[in-house]
Amino acid sequence: MSNSILWYTTRGAGAVTLILLSSVVVLGVLSALRVQSDSWPRFLTTGLHRNLALMTLVFLALHIVTAVVDPFTNLGWAAALIPFSSGYRTLWLGLGVISFELLVAIVVTSLVRGMLGHRVWRAVHWLTYAAWPVGVVHGLGTGTDTWSAWMLAITAACVAAVGMAVALRLNAGSTDPLAPARGEFRSAVDRREAR
Amino acid sequence: MTRLLDQPDILAPLPRVDHGLIDAIERARLVGRGGASFPVATKWRAVEHRSHGRAVVVVNGAEGEPQSKKDRLLMTTRPHLVLDGAFIAARVLRARRVILYIGERHSAARDSMLRALAQRSELERNIVTYAAAPARYVAGAEAAVIHFLNDGVATPVNIPPYPFERGVEGAPTLVQNVETLAHVAILARTGEAPNRVLITLVGGVTRPGVFEVDSRTTITQAINQSGGLTEPARAVLVGGYFGSWMDPHEAWGMRLDPSASRLGCGVIGVLPSSRCAVCEVAAIMRYLAAESSAQCGPCFFGLRALGDACTRIAGQGSNPEVLKRMQRWSAEVRARGACKHPDGAVMFLSSALQVFGDEFASHRPHAKSEQVRLSA
Repeated sequence: MSNSILWYTTRGAGAVTLILLSSVVVLGVLSALRVQSDSWPRFLTTGLHRNLALMTLVFLALHIVTAVVDPFTNLGWAAALIPFSSGYRTLWLGLGVISFELLVAIVVTSLVRGMLGHRVWRAVHWLTYAAWPVGVVHGLGTGTDTWSAWMLAITAACVAAVGMAVALRLNAGSTDPLAPARGEFRSAVDRREAR
Repeated sequence: MTRLLDQPDILAPLPRVDHGLIDAIERARLVGRGGASFPVATKWRAVEHRSHGRAVVVVNGAEGEPQSKKDRLLMTTRPHLVLDGAFIAARVLRARRVILYIGERHSAARDSMLRALAQRSELERNIVTYAAAPARYVAGAEAAVIHFLNDGVATPVNIPPYPFERGVEGAPTLVQNVETLAHVAILARTGEAPNRVLITLVGGVTRPGVFEVDSRTTITQAINQSGGLTEPARAVLVGGYFGSWMDPHEAWGMRLDPSASRLGCGVIGVLPSSRCAVCEVAAIMRYLAAESSAQCGPCFFGLRALGDACTRIAGQGSNPEVLKRMQRWSAEVRARGACKHPDGAVMFLSSALQVFGDEFASHRPHAKSEQVRLSA
């Protein structure tokens, strides 16, 4: 019985992680789009983005730990940390490990952003666009519940939500309201050609 | 007493210096004279122990504060004293480069500095380069100086890394105001703790301009030494646009001691009682808003909104709603920029609202011709 609890937890936490991670990605894109209204100020978008991201890691940890300690799966810690080192479903588990490690990098660099500077943080944050699809493929490839109707619905909704947000973002172009003013100021203090 | 100004500017061999000078600077409690009043010894120690012979010394003569004239005058009349300070810093910090960063419009100062440089030894000349600082308010801020020297763009950048960690071309860098370096030179030569200070008197004084005073002098004494007031004063702006308004009765007794009071870059502006304080503050707020480098939203939009609000009161008369909004916005802007520009502007405004509370509460519009010139 205790074994099946671990197994159910792994599956449940995996599904929850997918939902949370997709919400975090959507919120991140919306914050870049500067979406707001009277009842939804922008700090709400960024605050949710941040807090849900931290929660994602908690569920992801639960997903991984329960999978590893489950005596039935017999995965071992190495398989959870080293990509493609697992004998069991090498490719699909490897993708999961990669997605997990990218997310850890993204969260850790965000927590110490003040020390890193904006440029480095931003470069690492772009990895989100690798971590999310790799995670989705991991779920599709090895999920026990992948082809059940409810899990298909969840996956489809997540993919649709992220896809829509990204499409909106690509369509919007530059959303920075400071860009014209910054350009004007910069042209007054830029001496790169003169030197 | 060794003076900064009104002394012959002599080229003489530099005294032998080592890091004992930093202890002397610390005992003298010398603070930076560019405006931030940061303790000099702290900055030098931070650069010294990271230097390993590769540090860079930037001689900051950008003087972007519109009312300040003292750095220009010092560079024009005592270029060797400033260069002495720079080369002494370079020796103590084991620097490999010295960069003269001088305001692009301060041509007399630049010519004088470059002429003096040409008279120095080859060994000294070889480590010096010159860069023209863009004539904008933020171009003299440490982070903007580093950004300019590295990438040619004089806008502030995020800190950290601090200049003493990663400055010009990644090397530990000392960015120091020219007056500060002159004080260091005198300290190294004579052993006397610097007790003089350069101030720029502007506004309702008989003889506006740059004066050198003893740091125990009060503001009243300094004004009297320069010929007194043109008429009774309404308020005194201490430290320029990055400073604060003070009630005259508080300001008169204030000593011009940079290590003890908020003297900033040494601009003392006297607002005569016949001038309109509200219009004056509005003009300066508009200037500070226009000088935002538009990198951070709270600074760009916040200062513009505050400037517009001041202008609205100046043009249409007092309005309690607008005043209340200004208070709220001020709190929201503070500490939310990459640099200190918004903080300085908001500090300036809150001191104005405090000192000119009555004027802001009862202002009535008046003809443009009555307005004045403390603002740029």
